[in-house]
Amino acid sequence: MANARKQSLHTKQVTAFFFFLSLVHGNALPAGDQLRVYNDQLKPLLAVRCFSCHGSLKQEAGLRLDTVEFMLKGGDSGHGIVKGDPDASLLLARVSEPNPALRMPPEDEGDPLTVHQLGMLRAWITANSPTDPNEKPEADPRDHWAFVPRVRPTVPTVAVKSDWLKNPIDAFISYVHEKNNLVPQPQADRAILVRRLFIDLVGLPPSAEELAAIDSDTSPDWYAAIVDRLLADPRHGERWARHWMDVWRYSDWWGLDEEHRNSQKHLWHWRDWIVESLNRDTPYDEMVRQMLAADELYPDDPSKLRATGYLARHWFSWNRTQWLDETVEHVGKGLLGLTMNCSKCHDHKYDPIQQVDYYRMRAFFEPYHVRLDVVPNDMDLKRDGIPRVFDGVLEAPTYLFVRGEENKPDKSHSIEPGVPAIIAFKDLTIAPVVLPTVAYYPERQPWIIDAQLDAASRAVELAQAALTKIVLALVAEQQTLQRLAVDPQQAIEPAAESTVVPHHHAQAIAQTAVDSLELEVGVYQRAVDIALAEKHSIERRAAATRLGWEVSDAVAPVSETVQERMKQTAQLAVQAERELAVAHAQHNLAKLRLQLLRTPADKKEVEKAIDSVRNELEKARSAVAEPGELFTPLKLIGAKWSTTRFRTTTADDPPLAFPATSTGRRRALATWITDPRNPLTARVAANQIWMRHMGRPLVSTVFDFGRKGNAPSHPELLDWLASELVDQGWSMKHLHRLIVTSAAYQMTSSSFGAESNMGLDPDNRLLWRRDAMRLESQVIRDAILAFSGTLDLTFGGPSVPPTAQADSKRRSLYFFHSNNDRNPFLKMFDDADVKECYQREQSIVPQQALALSNSRLVHDAAAQITKRLHAAGQSIGGDAGFIAQAFILLLNRSPTKDELADCMQAIEGWQKLSSGETLIDANHRAHTHLVWALINHNDFITLR
Amino acid sequence: MNHLPRRTFLADLGMGFTGLALGAMLHRDGLAAGAEWTPPNGQPHFAPRAKRVIWLFMNGGVSHLESFDPKPMVTKYGGKTISETPYAAVQNPARLSLERAMAPDANGQQRNTLFPLQIGFKKHGESGIEVSDWFPHIARTIDRISVVRSMWTSDSNHMAQTQFHTGRNMLDGEFPTLGAWVHYGLGSLNDNLPQFISIGTREYWNKKDGLYLGPAHDAVPLRIDPQNPLDFGQPQQAFSREAQAIGFDLVKSLNGRTAIEYPSDPQTAARIASYELAFRMQRSVPDVVDFSQETAETKSLYGLDLPHCKEFGTQLLAARRFIERGVRFIQIQHGGGGAGAWDAHSGLQANHEKLALAVDQPIGALLVDLDRRGLLDETLVLFATEFGRTPGSQGSDGRDHHVFAFSVWMAGGGIKRGFVHGATDELGFHAVENRHYVTDIHATILKQLGLDSHKLEIPGRKRLAIDHGKPIDAIIA
Repeated sequence: MANARKQSLHTKQVTAFFFFLSLVHGNALPAGDQLRVYNDQLKPLLAVRCFSCHGSLKQEAGLRLDTVEFMLKGGDSGHGIVKGDPDASLLLARVSEPNPALRMPPEDEGDPLTVHQLGMLRAWITANSPTDPNEKPEADPRDHWAFVPRVRPTVPTVAVKSDWLKNPIDAFISYVHEKNNLVPQPQADRAILVRRLFIDLVGLPPSAEELAAIDSDTSPDWYAAIVDRLLADPRHGERWARHWMDVWRYSDWWGLDEEHRNSQKHLWHWRDWIVESLNRDTPYDEMVRQMLAADELYPDDPSKLRATGYLARHWFSWNRTQWLDETVEHVGKGLLGLTMNCSKCHDHKYDPIQQVDYYRMRAFFEPYHVRLDVVPNDMDLKRDGIPRVFDGVLEAPTYLFVRGEENKPDKSHSIEPGVPAIIAFKDLTIAPVVLPTVAYYPERQPWIIDAQLDAASRAVELAQAALTKIVLALVAEQQTLQRLAVDPQQAIEPAAESTVVPHHHAQAIAQTAVDSLELEVGVYQRAVDIALAEKHSIERRAAATRLGWEVSDAVAPVSETVQERMKQTAQLAVQAERELAVAHAQHNLAKLRLQLLRTPADKKEVEKAIDSVRNELEKARSAVAEPGELFTPLKLIGAKWSTTRFRTTTADDPPLAFPATSTGRRRALATWITDPRNPLTARVAANQIWMRHMGRPLVSTVFDFGRKGNAPSHPELLDWLASELVDQGWSMKHLHRLIVTSAAYQMTSSSFGAESNMGLDPDNRLLWRRDAMRLESQVIRDAILAFSGTLDLTFGGPSVPPTAQADSKRRSLYFFHSNNDRNPFLKMFDDADVKECYQREQSIVPQQALALSNSRLVHDAAAQITKRLHAAGQSIGGDAGFIAQAFILLLNRSPTKDELADCMQAIEGWQKLSSGETLIDANHRAHTHLVWALINHNDFITLR
Repeated sequence: MNHLPRRTFLADLGMGFTGLALGAMLHRDGLAAGAEWTPPNGQPHFAPRAKRVIWLFMNGGVSHLESFDPKPMVTKYGGKTISETPYAAVQNPARLSLERAMAPDANGQQRNTLFPLQIGFKKHGESGIEVSDWFPHIARTIDRISVVRSMWTSDSNHMAQTQFHTGRNMLDGEFPTLGAWVHYGLGSLNDNLPQFISIGTREYWNKKDGLYLGPAHDAVPLRIDPQNPLDFGQPQQAFSREAQAIGFDLVKSLNGRTAIEYPSDPQTAARIASYELAFRMQRSVPDVVDFSQETAETKSLYGLDLPHCKEFGTQLLAARRFIERGVRFIQIQHGGGGAGAWDAHSGLQANHEKLALAVDQPIGALLVDLDRRGLLDETLVLFATEFGRTPGSQGSDGRDHHVFAFSVWMAGGGIKRGFVHGATDELGFHAVENRHYVTDIHATILKQLGLDSHKLEIPGRKRLAIDHGKPIDAIIA
């Protein structure tokens, strides 16, 4: 029915079309006008409707339509157009085809061309398809700067200003300056430079002492010396970890209230791995490999497995597609600078990425799941555990979703993992990884059994301690009884009058207590026996279990001796378990005897119970010696799969086993991404690193290096930096050192005296000065705490929960930070959005002023800093001396005369506000206010 | 270097315009090169008819066909393709050429099969202007309104939101928004409150307004929550108002001194201004969003007692209270993030009915309330959206993006009451009579505020004629 209607519509459309055609023929335009029609209307129409499949990006059916020459040449089916003969022009035939299955553009790419558009095309062909003689085809995407192989550029020779140059970076920048008549700004003051280096490399300001020491350093190498020192400082890893946590989307878990839906608990293990790796200068490529595939590359190294937190973070309990969509999107944007996500529903409109490429990329991740591995010192996965990935469903198929719709998978065939052809510089080899036993039997990690043994030993200690306590109570009561026997009068405690007890009663009570306690000691003694038997049983069963593993792992057939040993070990384990049963029965008996004493009323039932337990005990005793080899296996848990709810959000999916092999897909992807020949990886990383040092990226679309992104402002510099990164073993510290020791880095951010530059390049696009940077939220808070001397420099560990943050003095990167929980102070200063943060915002809003001027953090800090300065004798110079020292500490520079005068005036005003406090107190308060003001100074939160 | 007249400098900041204006101060005092250019002095260029603007923007694209531009022919030919109607010529390619797609995707296509109007229209008021039945409250105030039915834009995707605010297609880059221009051009009416406020989500375009005018001209984003009007709104330790005042003065003067060492640094200037404002906002913002002094009648007028109106009603009542206190420009976005809630590619009827229910009563209330308080004469209210929706259907029950025609309306601030301007063709496809690009709205608003956008231009930032637009004089009373 619907088809019939459609058909009739088309018939009508075609009729109308011929009607219109006659109009067009009747009003044929001169050739010059047809050229204009082509340039202004037809070509733009073809560009929007046809080029993405028939242009430089793709040549479906061998056909391109981006020049008339291509149209004439045509494709697999023949000429696209024939000049002057519209009826022989296939292009016209296909776009005016009534059958939607044959018509172009395809049905799902929007409506057919309108009658008018068809008429226009026909008229233009009739008029011999005029075009510009030098019509240029669309640029070839293979020539796009980011897709071409990276070649190490030659460092340009710069004619003038060579005294400005400090390293090759400056040659590249200077070269551009010269071409654009720009003059670089001079070096910033030493104090500014020191502050820059400290904030940039360790995320904390220099202390007054550090600053003074550096200031008096007359060596010419003073600058390089600080750089070396700061790069070696463990705080460097924390500072740069926060940068990479932005890019790699670190987020603690979140969900709805307590229901865990996103990311993973204990994800801080990954954060600690980032900090440690950066401090060790683990090469960038190695870090990426570990994040994507440590479970395939280092399956038995728990320390490296932490890296896969990168993928564990994408975990989403309810929907596999949403989870993998985010994975594909951010592996693309974060590691490759590719907007793969734009090709989920259709081929990419700008980059040579087909829709199927999206699903090929997804296929790398299709098998992976997430689990928590038990850590050596805590068996309780609620408290700790390492979130890591593993290939859980090895045969999971990947289907292309028609138009990206999850409910329309094309199940005709499963898509194999692969990379977009444009960057397929080598064949991808995917080989399955045979995993070591501990990877799929995580309970075989030695610490799992050890933890049970430890727990058993602790239980013995606890039982013994309890026994000692009860024995001491018995001894005390026995002494009381003895005293009563010797001198009943004396022994009565001088208690409250109402509770005076006749002495014969007291004796009886004491006797009862002693009788009861004697039995109770028996109960506790039996409890110790149980703990010992339990420990013994675990030891015996552990020995048997371990032997069993050893035997099952052995390649050689099991010898008779070993068989005999196994038998013996198993028998011992069984025996120990039976001894444990005896201990339990004895414990029960002791408890019943005590009960009999305490509740004589229940005598009948209790005696009955005692008989029954005695029977049990007899049986248990005689069972000990009986043969038997079937012991109860130890309850060993080495890891727990992070349960998904893909089928229904109200029930867990069926449990997943840990397979003995991994597909090797992610290992192959990681190898491909980190191959030095990959044109994107190093460029994207170098751009990120440059941006975080300089305040401005070389490619402003930091996550899109594709054809829709922006071209680099300094393409050769970018390639040179990327080459340095790769050629120096992907050492990030090498790149940090290069950048911070460049003259470009050390320029002043002031535009003072640079009117000419201002006129030529007001936005400093070509880097004739430094850009001032607003400090990131974490640095602001950390600096405030550092100055007040309260910063807690403890490394690593679980994230500080939101409720503890107000009082915590830990560095901000350790704060629990998720989609749902964001620290209110950090939030004010453009904190990282956990969903996507490739570059921080640097907003300026009054709310930031309120946070800095009103928060307890700042007020407490002002008081502490003032106290510290006073304690250090910095108030000796009076108010002026205090002001000078406060400036040096907080802004790393001395106040100017005018600033000093401003501050003196304010201090005077504050002192006058005194209401009856002592002069010293008023003075102290005024100084505190001054410190508050300097924290609120724009230069406090700005890196000049 | 140190002879900068501090008093003048601070007075300038107190006026609430900074950023380049600060740079301009330095120019004026001969501290920077080039003295030929005079920056705005905070005064209108000619006598204004309006002092303040409330800019209501519906994210996603309201259907003009189902709000303020009834087209019976769309219903009459419903189910037919456009080429089957007598109006086939609307798709003449030459007439479609203004469209510039920013990000071609499945949307923003030609839709050929006419989709009947999903709601009825009635004439209202003495003016007899037709308004769809989804907007009964706005309909009741129609005699205060000038409807412009002949708008066009060029970006067939949601970057058109940006385009409506900046006047530029995103393919051209990023430019200041109209609110930023107004903020840049005019002095403050109340130093205790931000002069440019943004309420609601604006996810689809850059969160910045000032761009080359500097961050000091970005809107201050406010969340209207009477329970928690302002984070860190009060000192969390004992700090008397007097001591705080001395502190803020000191911070201001110290920051001002670095502005000399770091000239042309809009960040410093913006930081100074943000402190000025923060100091005063602590007291004034909680007061504005405290509705306890409002009568029950007013609150229910805005629909605060109705769950579906409460959020938007709260924002509009706050807007009136901000306006009363002299806030210059309030930009309120409705429809949340992403493409915007009004983006009815499918299920248009349910979509528009629900959203209209949320905004109609509060908007009607705003006009009534402003009018009865005598504020409407000097307050210009704009109701706008990024583009219209296609006469043809997308899927079975939606409409696609449509750049060739859409409707906006203005009220107050010297705008004619009960007036219709411009017209679309029989299908509502093209604006055909008195066509207006989005910057004509900008020009109209600037004119009513007494500003000439040519005089606001910055050296080195030449604007095109189309950026300035032309005032729609026909709707000016």
